Amino acid sequence: MSQEHIEHAIRKEYAAGFTTDIESDTLPPGLNEDTIRFISGRKNEPEWLLEWRLEAYRDWLKMAEPSWAHVNYPPVKFNEISYFSSPKAMKDRPQSLDEVDPQLIETYNKLGIPLHEQAALAGVAVDAVFDSVSVTTTFREKLWEAGVIFCSISEAVHDYPELIKKYLGSVVPRKDNFYAALNSAVFSDGSFVYIPKGVRCPMELSTYFRINEANTGQFERTLIVADEGSHVSYLEGCTAPMRDENQLHAAVVELVALDGAEIKYSTVQNWYPGDADGKGGIYNFVTKRGVAHRDSKISWTQVETGSAITWKYPSCILRGDNSVGEFYSVALTNNAQQADTGTKMIHLGKNTRSTIISKGISAGKSSNAYRGLVRMSPRAEGARNYTQCDSLLIGDRCAAHTFPYIESRNPSAVVEHEATTSKVSDDQLYLCQQRGLDAEKAVSMIVNGFCKEVFRELPMEFAMEAGKLLEVSLEGSVG
Amino acid sequence: MNDFMQQALAAAARSAPPWLEPLQAQGREAWSKTSLPTRKTEAWKYTSLQALQKTFSAAPTQAAGSPLGDVPLPKLTGPTLVFTDGHYRSDLSTTELPAGLRLVRFADATSDQAERIAAALGSAILPGRHVFAPLNDATLTDGVFMDVPANTHIETPVHIAWLTTGQNESISVTQRLLVCLGENSGATLVESFANTATGGTAFTNGLTELLIGRGAQLNHYRLHLEQGDVVHIGGVHARQDADSVLNGFHLALGSALKRIDLVVDQQGPGAHSSLDGLYLPRGTETVDYHTCIEHAVPHCTSQERFRGIIADEASAVFNGRIHIHPQAQKTRAELSNKNLLTSNKAEINTKPELEIYADDVQCAHGATVAQLDPLTLHYLRTRGVPRDEAEVMLSYGFINELVEAVAQAELQAFLKPLLARRFARDSRLTRHIL
Amino acid sequence: MLKIDNLHASVENKAILKGLDLTVGAGEVHAIMGPNGSGKSTLGHVLAGRPGYTVTAGSAQLLGQDLLTLDTEERAHLGLFLAYQYPVEIPGVSNMEFLKASVDAVREHRNVPALDSVSFMKQAREACKAVNLDQAFLKRGVNEGFSGGEKKRNELMQMMLLAPKLCIMDETDSGLDIDALQVVADGINAMRSADRSFILVTHYQRLLNFIKPDRVHVLSGGRIVKSGDHSLALELEERGYAWLEDVA
Repeated sequence: MSQEHIEHAIRKEYAAGFTTDIESDTLPPGLNEDTIRFISGRKNEPEWLLEWRLEAYRDWLKMAEPSWAHVNYPPVKFNEISYFSSPKAMKDRPQSLDEVDPQLIETYNKLGIPLHEQAALAGVAVDAVFDSVSVTTTFREKLWEAGVIFCSISEAVHDYPELIKKYLGSVVPRKDNFYAALNSAVFSDGSFVYIPKGVRCPMELSTYFRINEANTGQFERTLIVADEGSHVSYLEGCTAPMRDENQLHAAVVELVALDGAEIKYSTVQNWYPGDADGKGGIYNFVTKRGVAHRDSKISWTQVETGSAITWKYPSCILRGDNSVGEFYSVALTNNAQQADTGTKMIHLGKNTRSTIISKGISAGKSSNAYRGLVRMSPRAEGARNYTQCDSLLIGDRCAAHTFPYIESRNPSAVVEHEATTSKVSDDQLYLCQQRGLDAEKAVSMIVNGFCKEVFRELPMEFAMEAGKLLEVSLEGSVG
Repeated sequence: MNDFMQQALAAAARSAPPWLEPLQAQGREAWSKTSLPTRKTEAWKYTSLQALQKTFSAAPTQAAGSPLGDVPLPKLTGPTLVFTDGHYRSDLSTTELPAGLRLVRFADATSDQAERIAAALGSAILPGRHVFAPLNDATLTDGVFMDVPANTHIETPVHIAWLTTGQNESISVTQRLLVCLGENSGATLVESFANTATGGTAFTNGLTELLIGRGAQLNHYRLHLEQGDVVHIGGVHARQDADSVLNGFHLALGSALKRIDLVVDQQGPGAHSSLDGLYLPRGTETVDYHTCIEHAVPHCTSQERFRGIIADEASAVFNGRIHIHPQAQKTRAELSNKNLLTSNKAEINTKPELEIYADDVQCAHGATVAQLDPLTLHYLRTRGVPRDEAEVMLSYGFINELVEAVAQAELQAFLKPLLARRFARDSRLTRHIL
Repeated sequence: MLKIDNLHASVENKAILKGLDLTVGAGEVHAIMGPNGSGKSTLGHVLAGRPGYTVTAGSAQLLGQDLLTLDTEERAHLGLFLAYQYPVEIPGVSNMEFLKASVDAVREHRNVPALDSVSFMKQAREACKAVNLDQAFLKRGVNEGFSGGEKKRNELMQMMLLAPKLCIMDETDSGLDIDALQVVADGINAMRSADRSFILVTHYQRLLNFIKPDRVHVLSGGRIVKSGDHSLALELEERGYAWLEDVA
């Protein structure tokens, strides 16, 4: 397995790295209270939301950027980022897919997003967020019949103000952390989902995010409320064009699973990772958290292959008795990528259960850290956690880290944590090659095998997509 | 600089041998620039140093012959050096040395020895890895140098007992041990830390440095038996050359606060480090073990097994870090940490960490937290064993594996009843263990 | 010896025993057979007082004493012994330590003087020999790393040392090869006496070729649906359990 082979593979290009030539309406870079008033004004937001944003902004000014993650990057210049960009042709929002700019549709086709016919085949309702603005939501009618609300958060602010007022910031408070505060101040759009009591959402819901414009940040906000006894499966996908500058993505996702509800949230994240030398790429600083009430379940599944820097900990607050939290993660870093990702399982209720399966794959000269917290509060009688954290190293210049925090204050709670690390061994490769497989195919097989416990959790059509994504991201990373 | 630090510096005795003065000065300089860690410092996230915010003074010399009272110490054949409150007690020590071994107090060092000690002190401590090391340097007036020449095997254990007797006022005690094992040598070292039954509040700063030469083997037992109002901030810093072996056994019964940092720096290929540890806080005690194995070179191995039983309103912290440097290919490292909580108010915070920069390595760690398994308890009861005795048997069973692994027979014989009685004072409940 | 009257019990709020009646006389051997999930193992655990097994109605008396109000260890002191289908592993607690603790506890409650270590060791060694276990097993952790057959023989050894009044053997025969089965059966037969009774819980009648039962009961749906002599077991072997559902 030669070094040249590795070098060759690392030069592999980012498959989603095209730009789309659409005229955009972009706010000049800079952040102050006027920026926020502009964003809020453009969206005709009610006064209370503007105030909410401004308070978040004032808090943010007093906060410091977190430095504890195992990642290194030059300081983000928050005043050189544009906080709002909307495709110009979208000023008058399209009412149906036919009205959507054909170039945009072409973009989504290139991305392989099942937006139109594909969507129907896959049975997927898609809300596509292009830069910061929600472009279109398909299948709205069918969902409407089931009573499911699936729309952009800007629309929801106008159409369902009582739901937004009640739940926005209820899981991730404005001051939760530096990036959440920034997002609360400047969030531009995102998806809102409400599943009424006892309803099983008739299809997978899906949002695709894409950052297109240069020098823009993306600050979307997702809020999913599953009312009592309801069920929803939601998938988000992310891509961005290749650019030499780093771009900031600071999203907030809030999930609320009321009594007996179930939310399954899957992510396939393929933001532009930067080039082989670490130039460019997305800074993915995301806060995702769900609150699980009595007998409910929140399941996070993520396949993370993109971004220059990933800072992301989808978490569950298991507030209600018997609630369940799950976190299944594949995080792959190659070249100069750095990831610090994991989860928090906060057990508050009795007999709460959580499972964490984390698979980290490091290649090139990348750095991949799992960081997790399992907390058993004094009230968490009979709670259980099982954590398994495996790292796979490909090549001798990468790094893999594991930082699991376990805090228990209840004797009847049981916590089990295991971590292992391994490499793609020469013996394995030799065996595969001896059976006629080339090295890349062999590595891809081994990596897919390593990840299968997580892929199993993805909706089927996306599991295949995830497998392919890993293959592309890894191509040639072992020689 | 806060009060605690000023007092600590003021407490530095003036009786140090002249050759220690540069080290003291250096320590004072470094300590004056040190700020005490807070809960925001990652390595002190779960442990507060609030207990240090009171007045400590240097302990006066104890007169020879003054009674020790009832101190539980292992009785071992072999040389024993006893220090009370940092002062050497010739009346309690036995100094007949096995052939080849040199065991020297800093205060008694010849100029040649002093030169070696001064050169070696601090060399096993990686920069910035022991917050309280400068304070130890600054307040150092005496210590022990254990020197095992190359190719010398010392069969009998060397026992160093560090006792605190603080009466009414709070005292601050500095302890320092420097161990050098020459090439292909071997020795067994037992360090006991205890306080007398009458002992009052004490702050103990116990620092041990182990320099283990090529092919040498050190069996190191460090027993923290202090109870009550003792705050011990201590550390063991080891540097291992090629093919050397360090077998460490660590025990901490609880006291007001014990924070022990164990850092092993593997600098030669083929080195093996094994660390076993038990922590058993109860009442409102706190024990905090931070271990770190620096795998800096290829072909080294390490194994860590730590078990904790946390009772009452006590809390424990275990942080076990395995750091594999880019050159350290072919490393094999394992860490296991298991904890039992035996009360609704007990607390454990554990963090086994892996930091890996080399690919051809095998690393695994595991951590568990639970209570005694109800079904196992039931199984014992179906055989007629009363619940209270069954609980004691299972608690002891939880740590038994590590006690059985104590290779020094006299020490094992000392530890068994000591530990079993931690779980029950009533001898009827421990009769089947002992 | 044992009198069970209209016993109802549930596990995790699921009713398993639904009105079970059973009387076992002194010196008798009863076999309880039944399909999987019929509640066979539950009966043993309910009598032994396992946590999570809740008696919702009925009574059970051993030697005239109400079993159900006693703590688990008190039931053992009274003379109840349950040989587990899946014996529990206890790492860190040696088999010897475990055996001595139980023998001492049981003897103490029977007002029999405690055995000194020498006599105990002698008995333990003899018991090892009787069940064909190497004496090295005495030093190992309880059932730790034992094979399935070794665990079953270890249970039998405990039973010999504790000399109980009522022995409930929960599927002791499952997973044993024919030689091991012979050892276990010999052990049980050797312990049969006029003041000791046995309940053999089993799925197969194979064990009963070695230990001749006085009565055979069929448990189905949480109740005893048919009782008979040894021939009932043979009939079950031939016809399976399905035909009994009509009877039930």
